[in-house]
Amino acid sequence: MSEGIVRQKTIMPVPASGPSSAPEPEVFEYLGFMLADEQYALPLTSIREILKPPPVTHVPRAPQDILGVVSVRGRVTTVVDLRRRLRMPEGAMTKFSRVLLVDDGREVVGVLVDAVLAVVRLGPQELELAANVGGDTAEYVRGIGRPGARGAGRSARSDGRWTLKDDILILLDPRALLRR
Amino acid sequence: MSTDDQDDDLDVRDEFLAESQEIVEALSRDLLVLDQMQKEGTPDPDLINEIFRGVHTLKGIAGMFGYHQVGAVAHALEDLLDDLRLGRVTLTQEVLDVLFEGVENFQRLLGDQAGVDLSQYAQSIERVSSPKEAPATGLESYDLDPGVLAVRTEYEEHRLRTNVEQGNPLYRLKVRFSLASIDTALEELKTRAKPVAEIITYLPSMGEIDRDSIDLDVLLASRAPEDELRELLVHDDSELMAVPRKGAEATSVASPAPVVPPPPPESHGPSVPVPAAVAHSIPPAVLDSKHDDASHGAASHDEAVDLLSLRSVANTVRVDIRKLDHLMNVVGELAIVRTAIGALSETLRAKPELRQLATELHRANRSFERNLAELQDGILDVRMVPLRQIFDKLARVVRQTAREHEKEIRLVVNGADTEVDKLIVEELSDPLMHIIRNSIDHGIEKPKVRELAGKAPEGTLALNAYQKGNNVLIEVEDDGAGINAEKIFEAAVRRGLVSKDARAELSQEDIFDFIFTAGFTTRSAITDLSGRGVGMDVVKTNISRLGGVVDVASESGIGTKFTITLPITLAIISALIVKVAGRRFALPLTAVEEALLLRREAIRTVEGRDVITLRGATLPLCRVDDLFELRAAAQSPDKSFVVVTALGNRRLGLIVDELHGQRDIVIKPLGKSLRDVRGFAGATDLGDQNVALVLDASSLLEEVLKRADSAPILEATT
Repeated sequence: MSEGIVRQKTIMPVPASGPSSAPEPEVFEYLGFMLADEQYALPLTSIREILKPPPVTHVPRAPQDILGVVSVRGRVTTVVDLRRRLRMPEGAMTKFSRVLLVDDGREVVGVLVDAVLAVVRLGPQELELAANVGGDTAEYVRGIGRPGARGAGRSARSDGRWTLKDDILILLDPRALLRR
Repeated sequence: MSTDDQDDDLDVRDEFLAESQEIVEALSRDLLVLDQMQKEGTPDPDLINEIFRGVHTLKGIAGMFGYHQVGAVAHALEDLLDDLRLGRVTLTQEVLDVLFEGVENFQRLLGDQAGVDLSQYAQSIERVSSPKEAPATGLESYDLDPGVLAVRTEYEEHRLRTNVEQGNPLYRLKVRFSLASIDTALEELKTRAKPVAEIITYLPSMGEIDRDSIDLDVLLASRAPEDELRELLVHDDSELMAVPRKGAEATSVASPAPVVPPPPPESHGPSVPVPAAVAHSIPPAVLDSKHDDASHGAASHDEAVDLLSLRSVANTVRVDIRKLDHLMNVVGELAIVRTAIGALSETLRAKPELRQLATELHRANRSFERNLAELQDGILDVRMVPLRQIFDKLARVVRQTAREHEKEIRLVVNGADTEVDKLIVEELSDPLMHIIRNSIDHGIEKPKVRELAGKAPEGTLALNAYQKGNNVLIEVEDDGAGINAEKIFEAAVRRGLVSKDARAELSQEDIFDFIFTAGFTTRSAITDLSGRGVGMDVVKTNISRLGGVVDVASESGIGTKFTITLPITLAIISALIVKVAGRRFALPLTAVEEALLLRREAIRTVEGRDVITLRGATLPLCRVDDLFELRAAAQSPDKSFVVVTALGNRRLGLIVDELHGQRDIVIKPLGKSLRDVRGFAGATDLGDQNVALVLDASSLLEEVLKRADSAPILEATT
C-alpha cells in the first residue's frame, strides 16, 4: 500500500502566522499543482499526504463534482474532482494524476489534480490578495502568488514533464474549497 | 504548563465525571426504589443510608475537583438526607421530588459546569427541610439499660424511637462470637435477622473474660413472635430475651450485664471493612452503616465513606469509547493484512519449490485469522452495555411526567439486562424519552377517566427489551386510550399531508405513520410536555440514523405499542455483498430476510409498481440500478436476484444482479461532504483497497415504500 504514497508530509510546516525561530520576514509555503494547464497552489499546512489515485468507488446521488470515495489505510475518504468543482473542462486521468489529502480542519478530503509541481515559498511581496481576482470561481481563490517576484521557489520535477514556470500561481483557500 | 500536564488534567477530570456519573446513576436507581417503598409505606432505613452515603461521596470528590456547584447541591442534599435518616424530616412525595430534582441538577451540572441556576432549588430543599417537632414516644416506658441508652447515636435513637412508636416489641440478644470469625458471623446474624427484625444497636458486653471470644449485647426490634425469633437467631452460645416494659415483672432478665464504655473505633471489631476487591459485589446488607455509626456517631461517617470511595476503584476500568473505536479500526486493518497474506500464500503455492513454505504460511495465517476473530469479539463485547442505564433514567422521566400530569402510572420493566452497543444506548435515550412522554400525555388517561372506562385507575407503562436474531427490540407499551386513527387523519388533512378523499385507500398503519411527520400534532392546545409537534419525527430520524425503525400499533381503548428495532452493534456487522451494474454494495444482514432468484414471469404490476407474491404475501420490488440511476433500463442482465429486505413490519425486495456472499464488515461513515446523500449507511473497505458502499436498509425502505404510499394519494388529489 505504501507505494501509493508519493511522499509523506516531511517538510516542516511553516505557520501562516505566529513566531518563527528565524528572524527573516514571514514566508508561506504552498504546494503547487497543475489543473487544465493552469498553475494552482494550496497552503502546505493543509496538505496531509499526496497519493497516486487509488481505486475510486462512485457514490450514486452524490454532488456532480464528487468523484467518489477511496480507502486510505482503512479510512473512507471522499475525493473531489477539482476540475469539476472549479467548473473546468473534464480531463482524463494520466500517470501524473494525484490525489492530495487536504485537511480543512473539519474533514480530510481527497482532491484530484492533474499533476503535482513543487513546494513554493512565497514572501509577502509575492502574494497578492484576492480582491482583484474575478471569475465565477472567485469564492475559492485566496489570491495570486508571483514566485518570480523574488526569484525564490523555482524548481523542476525530475521527470521534466512539469516545471513550475516563473509565472503566476492561483492560491486556493482550502476551507472555501471543501465547504459544502 | 506543558501539554502533558493538561492532558493529565483532562484525564483526571474525565475520571471524576465518569465516577460522579456512576454515583448519580446509582442514586437515581435507589431513589426509584425508595419512591416505590414510600408509596407502599415501608421505606427501608438502610436504603436512605445508602443514598446518604452516595451523596456524601459525591460531595467529597466534587470538592476535590473544584466542582463547587455539585458540591453545594450535594451538601444541601446530604443535610436533608441526614434529617431523613434521623427522622427529623418525614419522607413524603414532596421530599422525593426534591431528591429527584437533585439528580437532575447533578446531571445538568456534570454535563455543563456553568449556567445552572440553583437558587430556586436551594429554596425547594429549604422548604422540605423544616424540621418537625420531636415526637413524644413511649420510649420511657421501656426498661432499657441506661448504659445502652447512654452510648447510642442519634441515628440509633431515631430507629429506637421509630420502632417503639410503631409498637414493635424490643428484644435483647446475647450472643458469643469467636474472635476469629466475628466478622462473618456477625454479618450472617444480620442477614438472618433482616427479614423479621431490625438490629438497632449492639455493644460488647462484659461477661466472662475470654481470650478467644467476645460477647455482644444486641438490641433489636421485631414484630415476629418470640418463638420464631428464637428459632431463627438463638443458637448454642446465645440467649434471647424480651425487653420488659416498666411496671411489668422482669421475667428472664437477671441483673443486666454491665456495659462497657464505647470502645474506640480502632478496636471496634465488627466494623472492619470488607476487603477492597469485593466492594462492588457486596450486598447492601453488608454495607449497612449502623455499626460504623454505632460508636463514632453521625459526625464521623466520613471515614467510612472515604473507605468506600477508595474501594470503588477495585477491578473495573473505564475506557473512552473512542479508544475502542480505534482498536476496532486496527482490527479492521489487520483483517486487510490477513487477506493480503492469504493472497501471498496462494502465490507461493503456485511455485513447486516453495510449496512447503506456502503450506506453513497458510497454517500461520489461519491461526492469525482465528485469533483476530477472537480479538474482534472481545472488543465488541467490551462495547456492549445493558439497557438498564437508560431504563433507569426513563423511570425517572415516567415518575416526573406522571406527577406533572396527575396521572397514576406503574412502570413495568422487562429485559433491562439486554445488551446493546454503547453508542446506540447513548443515542436511544432521547427517542425513548419522547415516546414515553407521548404515551403518558396522549395515551394513559387520568385516573377518573380510566375508572369510567372500567380500567384500573393506575395506568401501566411497560418497557420491554429483548434480542431477536441480530436485532434488539425495545417496546414501549401503554394501556391507555389508544391512537384515534380518525383524529390523526383529520389532522393530516388539515396539514395538507393527504387528501380528504384518500381515506379509503389508507390502512390504519398508514395513518399512524403520519404521527412521525415533522410538526405533526392533533392538539389544538399546546401542553408543556408534548403536543408541540416536535418529537415523533425526531424519534424516527434518530432511530433511522442508528439503522433502526420504529413501528406503532394501537387499539382504541386498549393501548398503544411502539416497537423500536435496532441492530445490536454498529461497529462490525455481517453483510451480504451484492453486485449491481458492476458495482459492489453491502447490505447489513440484520435487514435481510432471504435472497432468491427472480423469475421474470412472477413479476406483476400493482398500481404502477412491480411486485411478486412470496409465500402468499405481496412483496413490492425495487430495482437498485434504477434507484441509483446506475445504467440505462434496457441494459438489465438476463438473470437477477431479489434480496428480501425487512425491518419492523416493512418489507421490500431489492433487485440485484449478483450475490457475492456474506462477510463481516466494519462500517466507516461517509465524510461530511456526503452527509446529504440518502440511501447509504456508510462504506467499507473490502480488503483489496476497494470500497463498497453500505446500503442503508431503513432509509431505502422508507424512501421506496413512501413513494408507493403517496402515489395513489397524489392521484386522488389531482
